[in-house]
Amino acid sequence: MPTTSTLKAPRVYRRGTWARFVEGLRYGGGLGQWSWLVHRVTGLGILLFLIIHVLDTFFVVAWPGLYDHTVGIYGGMVTGLPVTWGLNGYYWPLRWGFRIAELGLIACVLFHAINGVRVVLIDFWPRAVSIQRQLVWIVLGVFIAIMIPVTFIVIAALFSPPAHTMH
Amino acid sequence: MARHVKPLGGFELAAWFFMRISGLILVFLALGHLFITHILNNVENINYEFVSNRWAAPTTGVIWRLWDLTMINLAMLHGFNGLRQVLDEYIVRRSRRVLTHTLIWSAAIFLMGIGTYAIFMFEKDQKYIDQWKAERQQLVEAKLVAPEPLAK
Repeated sequence: MPTTSTLKAPRVYRRGTWARFVEGLRYGGGLGQWSWLVHRVTGLGILLFLIIHVLDTFFVVAWPGLYDHTVGIYGGMVTGLPVTWGLNGYYWPLRWGFRIAELGLIACVLFHAINGVRVVLIDFWPRAVSIQRQLVWIVLGVFIAIMIPVTFIVIAALFSPPAHTMH
Repeated sequence: MARHVKPLGGFELAAWFFMRISGLILVFLALGHLFITHILNNVENINYEFVSNRWAAPTTGVIWRLWDLTMINLAMLHGFNGLRQVLDEYIVRRSRRVLTHTLIWSAAIFLMGIGTYAIFMFEKDQKYIDQWKAERQQLVEAKLVAPEPLAK
């Protein structure tokens, strides 16, 4: 017989996209739910970046000048615009912004890859389910262990002069 | 009724296997690509010359092109199929699914097309590189930019 403390009023689910989103986050799925959500969000983020990345790499063949103009912006450098516009030059917020986004992209790909290996492991070797909680912690541990040196390397470059310093 | 996470058959089962196999291959291709471009090199040094030195290298060029060709096509199929699976959970009405699937596979085929075209059709434009270097040299002489780009 269930004791009174375990008896809960049935949760009323509200309608509407926002309410469903909030209820989804409150759903008590624990570690597995969060790794599922992060896997999904990082995957969609990587896809958004890849669409941009395929388009800009196409310029290598179609228009080399536009390619150098585009990848220059990633380093904070605006080049190749008509001199009369007066916009060519180095903009540090561009460089810092793209650096932080770059670190975020690396983190997304790394987590998606390691967590994906966990998913494949459980799918093809069902006995791994018995240690599925530990596997999530292993994924997080490997992710953090790799991200620490990567963060140092990627951010350290900001403290040396940019590729095309304007004096 | 139990919800089957692994599909029972047909296209969805093939897609289920594809996501796992392409994912395992992409772990090596994509993480290797990130390691080379972001850790061994600095993204700020990547430009037309850097790409042409990889793709048009006399012996290793074929390997880089095969790497990028496999990576781009697997990544596009893996990514857009993932987007389709996410959207299918929210979009159930048949007419809307036809619309989203059409848009998703059109975008995937378009991006795989231009990516594959770029990898196969690339030819090193030495004249462009020389011109770029000459323009840069003018800026160096006018003391507008540093003579050497950022070291590794």
